[in-house]
Amino acid sequence: MTKKDILTSADHRKILEDRLSAQLGRRTLLKGMGAGLVAAAGATLLPGESLAQQKGHIRIAAIKHIDTLDPHFTFFLSAVQIINNIHNGLLKVTYDGEAVRFEPDLAASWDLEDAKTHLFKLHPGVKFHDGTSCDAEAVKFSLLRVKEGKPASPHAWKLELLEAIEIVDPLTIRLRFTKPYAFLPVALTGSTGRAGTIVSPAAVQKYGMDYGRNPVGTGPFKFVSWKDNDSIELEANPDYFEKGMPKLQKASFMLIDEPSTAVAALVSGQIDGMTDCPMQLVNQVKKIPTVSLYGEIEGNYTYVGMNNRKAPFDDVNLRRAVAFAIDRDTLVKQAYFGLAQQAYSPISPPMTGYYDPDIAKTDRGHRFDLAKAKEFRAKAKNQGEIKITYIMAERGPVGTRVAQVVAPMLAQIGIKVKLELLEPAAWVQRMKDGNFEMLDFDWVADLDPEETIFPEFKTGGSWNYWGWSSPEFDRLCTEASTTIDVPARAELYHKAEDILMDDAPVAMLAHIPIYKVFSKKVQGFNYIPADLVNLHGVSIT
Amino acid sequence: MLAQSAAKIFQTAVVLFIVSVASFSLLKLAPGDPVMLMLGSEFSQESYDSLQRELGLDRPFLVQYLAWLGNFMIGDWGTSFVSRADIFNFVVIEALPVTLTLTFCSIVLAIVVGIPLGVISAIRKDTIWDTVIAVFALTGSAFPSFFLGIVLIWFLAVQFGIFPVMGFVAPWQDFWLGMYHMALPALTLSTYFIGMIVRVTRSSLIDVMDQPFIAAAKARGEPRWRVVWVHGVRNIAMPVVTMIGLQLGGILQGAVLTETVFSLPGIGQMLTDAVLGREYTLVQAGVMLTATLFIVINLLVDLSYPLLDPRLRPR
Amino acid sequence: MAINGTTTPIAAARLRRSGMTRKSMFLRRPFFTMALAITFGFALCAIFAPQLAPFDPVAQSIEAMMAPPDSVHLLGTDSYGQDILSRIIHGTRYALLIGLCSVALGAIGGLVLGVAAGLASGKTEWILLRVIDSILALPSLILAVAFIAILGQGVDKVIIAVALSLIGPFARTVRSDVLQVKVQLFVEAAGLMSIPRFTVIRRHILPNVLFPLLVQVTIRISEAILVSSSLSFLGIGVTPPTPDWGLMIAEGRSFVSFAAWMSGMPGLALALLLIALSIVGDAMREEFDPKLRTGR
Repeated sequence: MTKKDILTSADHRKILEDRLSAQLGRRTLLKGMGAGLVAAAGATLLPGESLAQQKGHIRIAAIKHIDTLDPHFTFFLSAVQIINNIHNGLLKVTYDGEAVRFEPDLAASWDLEDAKTHLFKLHPGVKFHDGTSCDAEAVKFSLLRVKEGKPASPHAWKLELLEAIEIVDPLTIRLRFTKPYAFLPVALTGSTGRAGTIVSPAAVQKYGMDYGRNPVGTGPFKFVSWKDNDSIELEANPDYFEKGMPKLQKASFMLIDEPSTAVAALVSGQIDGMTDCPMQLVNQVKKIPTVSLYGEIEGNYTYVGMNNRKAPFDDVNLRRAVAFAIDRDTLVKQAYFGLAQQAYSPISPPMTGYYDPDIAKTDRGHRFDLAKAKEFRAKAKNQGEIKITYIMAERGPVGTRVAQVVAPMLAQIGIKVKLELLEPAAWVQRMKDGNFEMLDFDWVADLDPEETIFPEFKTGGSWNYWGWSSPEFDRLCTEASTTIDVPARAELYHKAEDILMDDAPVAMLAHIPIYKVFSKKVQGFNYIPADLVNLHGVSIT
Repeated sequence: MLAQSAAKIFQTAVVLFIVSVASFSLLKLAPGDPVMLMLGSEFSQESYDSLQRELGLDRPFLVQYLAWLGNFMIGDWGTSFVSRADIFNFVVIEALPVTLTLTFCSIVLAIVVGIPLGVISAIRKDTIWDTVIAVFALTGSAFPSFFLGIVLIWFLAVQFGIFPVMGFVAPWQDFWLGMYHMALPALTLSTYFIGMIVRVTRSSLIDVMDQPFIAAAKARGEPRWRVVWVHGVRNIAMPVVTMIGLQLGGILQGAVLTETVFSLPGIGQMLTDAVLGREYTLVQAGVMLTATLFIVINLLVDLSYPLLDPRLRPR
Repeated sequence: MAINGTTTPIAAARLRRSGMTRKSMFLRRPFFTMALAITFGFALCAIFAPQLAPFDPVAQSIEAMMAPPDSVHLLGTDSYGQDILSRIIHGTRYALLIGLCSVALGAIGGLVLGVAAGLASGKTEWILLRVIDSILALPSLILAVAFIAILGQGVDKVIIAVALSLIGPFARTVRSDVLQVKVQLFVEAAGLMSIPRFTVIRRHILPNVLFPLLVQVTIRISEAILVSSSLSFLGIGVTPPTPDWGLMIAEGRSFVSFAAWMSGMPGLALALLLIALSIVGDAMREEFDPKLRTGR
């Protein structure tokens, strides 16, 4: 059994959950330790392996905005796509086509000493691109940079429960948490969680705030240059610790604003891939014989948000009427080009164990039912025609399409919608100031139910733009966040969701697919439903 | 002469000052907050406050303006909020040459195509040629440049594979490759001018052809082509140059969209992104640079009059 | 007009025009006539849009999304299943509205600023000139984006934003015309005769400045419509689903390779209107501009 096999078969998240649910029963602990030992043993063999020959230059269009390459300060997944090729996390996200898992990345093994204490053993001999070694000190440095660094990292909350970091030996680190922390696997990845990304302490000291333009990680690619509006260049890291990676010599992320230009460049062979494919281009891309489209429904949901603080949507019956008045079939076809999937509730398909594939057959969540909508509308306080303003902007996965399709649907329940187009910056401001009546928005790239519903809807939360509040919802979510047993946790979240859906601060719309496109010349791309473009195993002919 | 130059410099400084105040206040007046945009979905009050302080955006408007002005004057253009790009390097070293190359190529193309068409149009005034040329020139400038660019990309670059779709190659590194990459963007941007150059050439030449010295040349028995192409065309240089100078502001406007469509890392694209992202200092740098360019080019146009038109002095 | 004994060039042109040229113009200039007919056609479309359009311009249809042109939808449908022909017919209203109103507003602003700068002297003149220079030096699309961000969006806001960006060029033209007129004998004479300043402006300056301004207007209408469509490309112009051509072109651009009619049809309509307007404008100018007619 090679090391790689163990890594892919060891579902640490599952192990973690099993162990914690069994209150650290001896049997499971042994099983977990066994896996860790074998992994650690395999890792020692690694530096002796011959290195792969790197060849080829891949050019990939990056369509979305890239803010910074500093993993602890970026706010955009489009930046994480590149960062993840330069850095590694303590853990990583993997996907085998069925389930998303969280596995050790820089850690060779990950063990639980008790419900609140995690022990990580690192791969030996791993070096940052600047030649300094990636040891327990570097891990501690990175975690502390997120938790309490100045200026404050926006991801600090992900390590709020982290109580102490102990360096056992140069390759072993112990993390103590104040409570069992169900969200930890996501937080410690170098991808969507970002908090667990390990950066070179020497480089951080050298560049300070400008680290984001001079990132130094342990990843398969080294950062070379960043020319604004032009390209970000990476080159192979020949000393990468994972065997046989990377296969490419160079990778360029071409910064292209206009998606139709990127598609044209892809067709003409000027570029080899796209980090994203906007939905309006998908059907066009599918027809191109020389490219492959990767994409599935990811951990996200889109919805129509209503301002619960003021009339008319302070009226729960009117909100419920809206939730049942939207014809999701038509919406999916017209706004999402038939590519999305109806969302009944926020928890989305990749959240295995929490998502109910048969939710359509239950009576949970929001769906199209005009009779029911009219019933609720009849109970609303305002029985006259209600005029509202719906703010929209050219942003998000489909721009103003949702607004344009939803607006006429609400006329059927006596709500006259005036669409107001805003410049994106102004739109964001209006949403955050609570200065709106209706808008549509989306939460994307979530892997755990906690991050997908709690910060968004908790009382007074800074993402709770709707001004909705339910103490019972808050209580259920808080309880769930320290509950490790999956079915029990799922039940808590389902209860919380039911409260949320019944009160309808937002009307659920859809779970959407997120796409990546590569030319058929590109091989070995491993699609992960967390909006990642990992080039680790990618080669080009 | 010295006093005159000093006055000109003072005027320019005042104009630049007004421009800087205007663009700074316009952007500040616009709703939208760079910090909020940066925070995206990770918004929280604490991170908002700390980032705002970090960027110095919590200070009063006037303080921010003066701080910017002071730094700008001493050559410290700062870094962009989000990507922490060195603004001087980004705007002057990286973006400016791209925009200048694009502008220069499209003007040359417009002159090469526009002037002959305008001349033919003038000497064949009121014939079918005149109209055909007028319609041809107008057609180019009657499409929005972004649409024309996309159509050209799909036809010439994708369908027939004649030109590359996008990208910029510096012509001073590889001239022919640079020109090859610049072909479609320059064509797209030049259509905007070809129409105008044809128009100005035509009307000025018609005007010139009525002048006594043309009649004299004809009377001397000079061949018709010489009369038109030498005596005529030489005398329309001034209105054409004036027009180009005047339209350079318009070029930048066309360049914004052309650059976005062809993914050229120039000032136009940079400025649009910066305005939409409320990158105040980046916008300021871009606006100051384009305004300076505009003023300098107009000064050059003024200075070139005596060279282009010997008649200017008696007039 | 001829009170002062000095007939202005424009008045002379008017006298000449009124007599003999009007009838024959349509025959002498067949393309002008054609262009004029097209322009009128568009104007009629704008006025009778609800009667002419076969469909409601904003009626979505899930059965007919992205349908190519056929007998039902003569110019096809867009990605919401809205009928493109109907949208183009209704869109004429917005194109003409944006073109005419923004240019009119811009011209008025430019006229005021230009006349003021032309007539002022000393410090006032100097300051006004610097203001005009500054407006010209600011990139106009950026200006329009900033204004839209401040004003909000919608057809009326687009008109204002475009108008503001046109003030600079208009002011510059007007000022140079004012300078030319100002030194003419009849104006100086009027000044010496202590005729009130305002009367001088109204009687002598304005009539001589207005004509070149009108010529400018015909050119700038196209520019105004194009700028408004550029704003739609940036996602900040006219509010969808308003059947605005610029918006339709911008929305359809993603589908150019396999549903070219979506942006192609409004693109052609736009080009046709702009070409027709330019031909009409040019012909009018040549016909009525004394400088071009007589060769002085």
